[in-house]
Amino acid sequence: MGILRQSEKLGLPLMNLVRFKGMPILDQLKLEEKLLRTTSDNWCIVNDGADAPTIVMGVSGKPAELLELESVIGDNVPVIKRFTGGGTVIVDEGTIFVTLICNKDAVPKVQPYPRSIMSWSGKLYDEVFQGIGDFQLRENDYVFGNRKFGGNAQSITKDRWIHHTSFLWDYEDRNMTYLKLPSRAPEYRSARDHTEFVCRMREYLQRSAFIDKTIKALDNYFLVQPANPSEVSSCQVAKFAHSTRLLSKQELEDACSSTKPGTIAQSASI
Amino acid sequence: MIPIRILNRKRAWAAVGRRFLTSHAAQNPLSPPPAAAAFPGHHGLPFLSHLSSRLARPSHAGAGFPSSEGVSIGNFELILIVLLCWRWKRRCFSGSAAAGLPEDGTVDVPLAQTGEGIAECELLQWFVKEGDEVDEFQPLCEVQSDKATIEITSRYKGRVSRMLYVPGDIVKVGETLLKMVVDESQAPVQSVDSQVPIKVSGNLDGELSSGADLNTTGSGGVLCTPAVRHLAKQYGISLSGIQGSGKSGRVLKEDILKYAAQKGIIESSGIPLGDQLQDELGSVQVIENPSDKKVTLRGFQRAMVKTMSMAAKVPHFYFVEDIKCDALVELKASFQKQTTDPGVKHTFLPLLIKALSSALSLYPLVNSSFNEDAMEVVLKGSHNIGIAMATPSGLVVPNIKNVQSLSILEITMELARLQQLALANKLSPEDITGGTVTLSNIGAIGGKFGSPLLNLPEVAIIAMGRIQKVPHFDEKGNVYPASIMTVNIGADHRVLDGATVARFCSEWKRLIEKPELFILQLR
Repeated sequence: MGILRQSEKLGLPLMNLVRFKGMPILDQLKLEEKLLRTTSDNWCIVNDGADAPTIVMGVSGKPAELLELESVIGDNVPVIKRFTGGGTVIVDEGTIFVTLICNKDAVPKVQPYPRSIMSWSGKLYDEVFQGIGDFQLRENDYVFGNRKFGGNAQSITKDRWIHHTSFLWDYEDRNMTYLKLPSRAPEYRSARDHTEFVCRMREYLQRSAFIDKTIKALDNYFLVQPANPSEVSSCQVAKFAHSTRLLSKQELEDACSSTKPGTIAQSASI
Repeated sequence: MIPIRILNRKRAWAAVGRRFLTSHAAQNPLSPPPAAAAFPGHHGLPFLSHLSSRLARPSHAGAGFPSSEGVSIGNFELILIVLLCWRWKRRCFSGSAAAGLPEDGTVDVPLAQTGEGIAECELLQWFVKEGDEVDEFQPLCEVQSDKATIEITSRYKGRVSRMLYVPGDIVKVGETLLKMVVDESQAPVQSVDSQVPIKVSGNLDGELSSGADLNTTGSGGVLCTPAVRHLAKQYGISLSGIQGSGKSGRVLKEDILKYAAQKGIIESSGIPLGDQLQDELGSVQVIENPSDKKVTLRGFQRAMVKTMSMAAKVPHFYFVEDIKCDALVELKASFQKQTTDPGVKHTFLPLLIKALSSALSLYPLVNSSFNEDAMEVVLKGSHNIGIAMATPSGLVVPNIKNVQSLSILEITMELARLQQLALANKLSPEDITGGTVTLSNIGAIGGKFGSPLLNLPEVAIIAMGRIQKVPHFDEKGNVYPASIMTVNIGADHRVLDGATVARFCSEWKRLIEKPELFILQLR
């Protein structure tokens, strides 16, 4: 009740802040989808590192086009299809996730359209990275100079939207080899391969500093109040079907086979 | 340019009739038919936010009909509005009419604009199937554009009759996603306000009501509008005693005033202005309930709110200049007379466009784009000149690519091609993206000049007023008639300064006033 009065006084909408560390990305995405579709609150979810390396594709990603399937299958790398648009990433404990789920009227002058939300997020992170590196929102990516360190995806529903980002705090070069060079790429990528295109956020600021500055920047738009992560993640919702899912090995193998005409008969006999 | 096309389209309406209105209105029930549309709608174009012209500020961002505040409008607009009223009859300005429903109630539901520059989306999934009843605002499907998945909700309450795409298909913005049957009696909430009917000042024969049928009941069957009846009541005059001078013996306002003056009820010089205004306002009120109506902005109007807001953040400055167009008028007449191809219609625009390109060659900063995030100005190599056009779905700005390499005849042909596509709502993404500067021929519809808002990320926009004949003085002090066009260049002050724009405009003006100078550039 006290917080409500304070928020009215400030005129800012409430935002629940949930912090995790090392939460598996599949669980995080399922939680996000649930919060987007079944609640009417504003949320900020921070996951300070996922767990084991996992590939995450956008809602319409095609494994055969985006992944080096033989090595993905051979090395048992999990592949997830998430509920938002956008491209493919490989995440691990070196990835920091920041997700914003908002009602469409939560932020003044931000319309529930991709560009409007993206542009506002750029301003938000401008404050976070003020004076650090040459930060900018470039097309749909967060970059230092011309090197990407944060990728974005969104989903916009009738009354709400989600904008989530995976930040490359650190990454293993060899993990990038599981991903093909995408056919759809931003102009500024200029056909650079992964190692030339991305950079590590750890070279610019500390992990905790980044998270603290992000929460502080959100304070300008919301009244941020911490929520209990275990309560939030354990809350059950009836009649809600996730669209985020883990692809089965069979699906990956089928996709792999479909790219090789000679082996189609072989896979069909399994 | 535009009025000629609109008048041609009127004839097309007479032939095509309701079907045309249906497809237009179904695409965007908030925006009025093209004849009355003068301002942004399509693709959320931000410019032309206010005009120092005769047309009133629209009552909502979609620039529908002029507001109901008794603004008198010119003959041209009157003709269009009369035609609209005639075609729509009693369904004019009711909810279902705004949707332009045909007799069977089927509407085409298009993929509305989902963001600036996004020309197509992938259909991900349907939430409904054929035969389903859907409510207004119920999600119909999910699409993906770039980084975002977006739920598309229904504008109408009705039944899904046919779905035109399957998941995985790529759908262009503006294309019909599905067809729905909408019951007229359950007209969508997003309708033109019943108060929107404007007062039509009596320039035409008789007095026109805004679509409400003439009231023939009472007073022994005297023909007159409710407003006239009210006026008579105000003066305590019985209608049966008045000879109507309108069509079919209709009693007009003038008849009442004349009668009242004769009887000494009022001064013969006419009623005071205040009362006249009250009359005009009074005549706007229609029989229907004049309560407020909420109109939720969707599609192009919604996108326009966003892009207008963004454009409004840019510090604009405006440079206004008068350009003598006598030589231009003569040249155009000469082209028209000499043309061997009857399919080619010569107008002023191609000459203005080519002259603009020449001026841009000397002042490339005017043909640039500003990226605030990167703090850089990109001087564009091509002169892709955007031309504002009124279409069934609202205003679009297709651009002519590489004007610097085109001849005036080639520009004429390309302009005609784009106009045809625009009217048919078949412009491709290629046609509407990549523009580097925008020309708005708002004078074709009306007005002296406007104060346009930039079409971001461009840094200049030029609004051209109507060419008007005004008296000018020559060197000897003699008065002669001159054809003058007033232009207003809106510019991004973060990139351009007054001196640059002034010099650029002088160069453009020089070529327009002395088109023979084009010869110097011939290769």
